[in-house]
Amino acid sequence: MSDVSCASGVELLMDYLEGVLPTETAAALEAHVAGCPRCEAFVASYRETPRIVREATAATLPAELEQSLMAFLRARRR
Amino acid sequence: MGVSGPEPTDESLAARAAAGDESAFEAIVSRYQARVFRLAWRLTANGGDAADAMQEAFLQAYRGLGSFRGESRFSTWLYRIATNAALMQRRARSRRPAESLEAFLPCFDANGLHAATPAELQAAAHVEERLDRRRLAEKAHAAIGRLPETYREAFVLRDLEEMTTAQVAEVLGLEPAAVRQRVHRARLMLRGYLGALAEVKP
Repeated sequence: MSDVSCASGVELLMDYLEGVLPTETAAALEAHVAGCPRCEAFVASYRETPRIVREATAATLPAELEQSLMAFLRARRR
Repeated sequence: MGVSGPEPTDESLAARAAAGDESAFEAIVSRYQARVFRLAWRLTANGGDAADAMQEAFLQAYRGLGSFRGESRFSTWLYRIATNAALMQRRARSRRPAESLEAFLPCFDANGLHAATPAELQAAAHVEERLDRRRLAEKAHAAIGRLPETYREAFVLRDLEEMTTAQVAEVLGLEPAAVRQRVHRARLMLRGYLGALAEVKP
């Protein structure tokens, strides 16, 4: 049974969330996080980060660019 | 939108476009332009560069249709072209090297314990309450631009475009484990960066 520290636990998070950790390692990580308020807080912010950045950078295509793209491509295809 | 029957697949549109059907190519453009633009903006951190990269990506896709063999999904093939076009666009700007985000990686003491307090460690999750949307958008784009390129492309495709790790691996020509490693490093840096943005000094 491997001991997980905060530092080693952080390095397992991605694989844990993707479900590719060996069962025993995943259980050791869960046991550490459950007993460590710092890791609990860290995991919460780690999990939220992709969504926050995704929502903050969700650009929409301006209508005029849509038109100029089609015009650009038509001109190049002749 | 078709008036009858299901929407044609990307692959069938690509085959028709490769055979010279211009309307099939335009259907592909219509289907993907918003996604390619968003991807390019995230990779270039600049609206003007994103527009140029989008044009270039579709032009390359048009010229390369004959080489699309259907070994991967059409979307994978197009994302690869668009990712490369966006990164080339950004490089062409010969910007100063972006300031590293290394300083935002988590810190541990000699025993491997988190050096920060739980409140500090959780701060990133509350950044939306602390910054208005416009400022957060600017900061987020700028921060993505400060990631090392190899982390940036993996993170943008995996976490922002929400592709699976397997798809990202195919687009970037990497093993899935390498994708996970890069996305993880990007998440760590951005998490720390968002946390620093969110922290209110007493």
